[in-house]
Amino acid sequence: MKNLFKKVAMVVAVTMLAVFTVSMSGCGKKNTEFVIGLSGPLTGPAAVYGLAVKNSAQMAVDEINEAGGLGGYKFKLVAVDDQHDASKVSTNYATLMKEGMQASLGCVTTKPGLEFKKLSKEDNVFFMTPSATADAIPEYDNGYQMCFADTKQGTYSANYVNDNVTVSNNKIGVLYNSQDDYSKGIYQNFKAQLASKFTLVEASFTEDNPTDLSSQVELLKDCEFIFLPIYYTPASVFMTAAKGKVSANTVYFGCDGLDGIDTAIQGFDINTIPQEVSYLSHFNSQSPTGAAAEYISKYTTKYGKDTLNQFGASAYDCVYAIYGAMKKAYDKDNSKVTPNTSASDMCELLKAEIKGGYTFSGVTGTNVTWDASGYVNKAAVKYVVKAKSE
Amino acid sequence: MDFIITFLNGLSLGGVYALIALGYTMVYGIAKMLNFAHGDIIMVGGYVLFVFVGLTGEPILAIILAAFLCMLIGISMEKAAYKPLRGASPLAVLITAIGVSYFLQSLAQIIFGAAPKFVVIADLGTITLGSLVIPVYSIVTLVVSILIMIGLSLFIKFTKTGRAMIAVSEDKAAAQIMGINVNNIITVTFLIGSFLAAIASVFYLLKAPNISPTFGSKPGIKAFTAAVIGGIGSIPGAMLGGFLLGIVEVFSNSVPQIAPYTDAIEFLILIIILLVRPTGILGKKRREKV
Repeated sequence: MKNLFKKVAMVVAVTMLAVFTVSMSGCGKKNTEFVIGLSGPLTGPAAVYGLAVKNSAQMAVDEINEAGGLGGYKFKLVAVDDQHDASKVSTNYATLMKEGMQASLGCVTTKPGLEFKKLSKEDNVFFMTPSATADAIPEYDNGYQMCFADTKQGTYSANYVNDNVTVSNNKIGVLYNSQDDYSKGIYQNFKAQLASKFTLVEASFTEDNPTDLSSQVELLKDCEFIFLPIYYTPASVFMTAAKGKVSANTVYFGCDGLDGIDTAIQGFDINTIPQEVSYLSHFNSQSPTGAAAEYISKYTTKYGKDTLNQFGASAYDCVYAIYGAMKKAYDKDNSKVTPNTSASDMCELLKAEIKGGYTFSGVTGTNVTWDASGYVNKAAVKYVVKAKSE
Repeated sequence: MDFIITFLNGLSLGGVYALIALGYTMVYGIAKMLNFAHGDIIMVGGYVLFVFVGLTGEPILAIILAAFLCMLIGISMEKAAYKPLRGASPLAVLITAIGVSYFLQSLAQIIFGAAPKFVVIADLGTITLGSLVIPVYSIVTLVVSILIMIGLSLFIKFTKTGRAMIAVSEDKAAAQIMGINVNNIITVTFLIGSFLAAIASVFYLLKAPNISPTFGSKPGIKAFTAAVIGGIGSIPGAMLGGFLLGIVEVFSNSVPQIAPYTDAIEFLILIIILLVRPTGILGKKRREKV
């Protein structure tokens, strides 16, 4: 009997403690700054993207704070590491909410981003991802993209090929990563949109850093135009392995994943590749003029060239776009936009601004708008990284 | 024609797998442990090549240095992490090996950063035989890996150390009674395994000249699979498993419809072989005495 009483008492005590702790963490924290949350791969194989986003977002936040913040309040960026692993996102999301996140950049990469989308929907947290390109990312109305969704990249690329490319044997090659939603998504839309006058020669691989692409080179060696909806690391491996097998007249054409192929891989000299290398994107990492050039010079002085890529530029724009929409809401009713506005209220305010004709101009585009689904509307830039060697 | 090239590519990839698999299988045969950090030795070799090819521009010198440094790291790893656990439960050693693997990966990320590095050891080009355009690296890889395997087999059969290795793998206690220094033999095993991993890193970089901190994990897992398919602990088994896996991988990659399932096919082969012959193709059956 005594024992039973002891057990019951223990259970009650533990429950009390738990309730107490939860209530403490729930209401104990008051924000003194606007908090923007971010989850991205800060370590691991995809860290080059996560670090670019974190650095650039921090840079934008610092600039906004230096210029006085909003309504006297400063901004704070909280970035947590997900190692491009979707299973880490729920913990990260909880951490961000604990830190008082009011608006977010979501996740840097697609797979974790799909997880983040679901979690943020429950709490109605606004997010605008710089770089998770999957079509499903802005599925719920709290989610927006600054980057082109996969559909748009695959479709834009196929349209470009249909209108501009002539090949003597009508063969268009494509090399994609079958285990990567980004690469596969673009490939599928490209395939669907490609004109029937072309024969699509397909090759694929299954790793983020493939170590052997000899079979793929064999498959694609007769193509005069090869579409590469993959990241620049495997692309550099493919181009090197294809030397001497693929004709020098062939054109390599990719999506935003190829951005940085000429600068970001230490030791890789793009000029050793005889073919033309180009891609369709929204940010030109070698832009000589305009907002992009200004961003590039600021970024490289602060963080070097190693992580300069379109992910970062897009993140920089995301922070400014969120800030811009918040400012518009603030100008309408400054009592509603404070560091203690709940994430859900903030989400409604931001959504109302964006749906109400908010346009944004930044590094990755001018007069940027968003459609009802959360997809971005802006001009694509075709960028030739390296012309064919003479 | 395409078939010949694909077959050659498969053999050359298989040769690399076989070299790495030998490292797994020898360590398992002699020290009775799975050295999961073995794949990361390849990564270390890759970074050493990256540094020294960049510094000296001498590929041969860089390869020698890479082999030397890999062997050094291989034996320090053994002395620092595994030797104190001699006699501990196999599970403890296994977890330690995974720890060493993470340690090496994180160390590489701290020193070199997360961004992949591109390492051009040498551009060997292609040769044309009739209508065949053959990349020279695949011939070099195949020939050198076969020579190394022959050398290793001769070493094990005909030298005193080699025979001592066989003795230790068959019965550690009896070998010790016969005057064999088991610790030295284990060190030699790690030395050879790390040397093979360094050579494998050279071949990898000739094929795909990209190096990142997690570079070694996939080849490591594939080669481990090859070692298990061939029969872990068996040297000819590791070679057979390596070539088998390499050929399967290249052929399934060369069929666009099957290519996305390449990994699945390889691991399916592993499962089937384990079901039919639990000790692998050339693995010895051990009778448990009760």
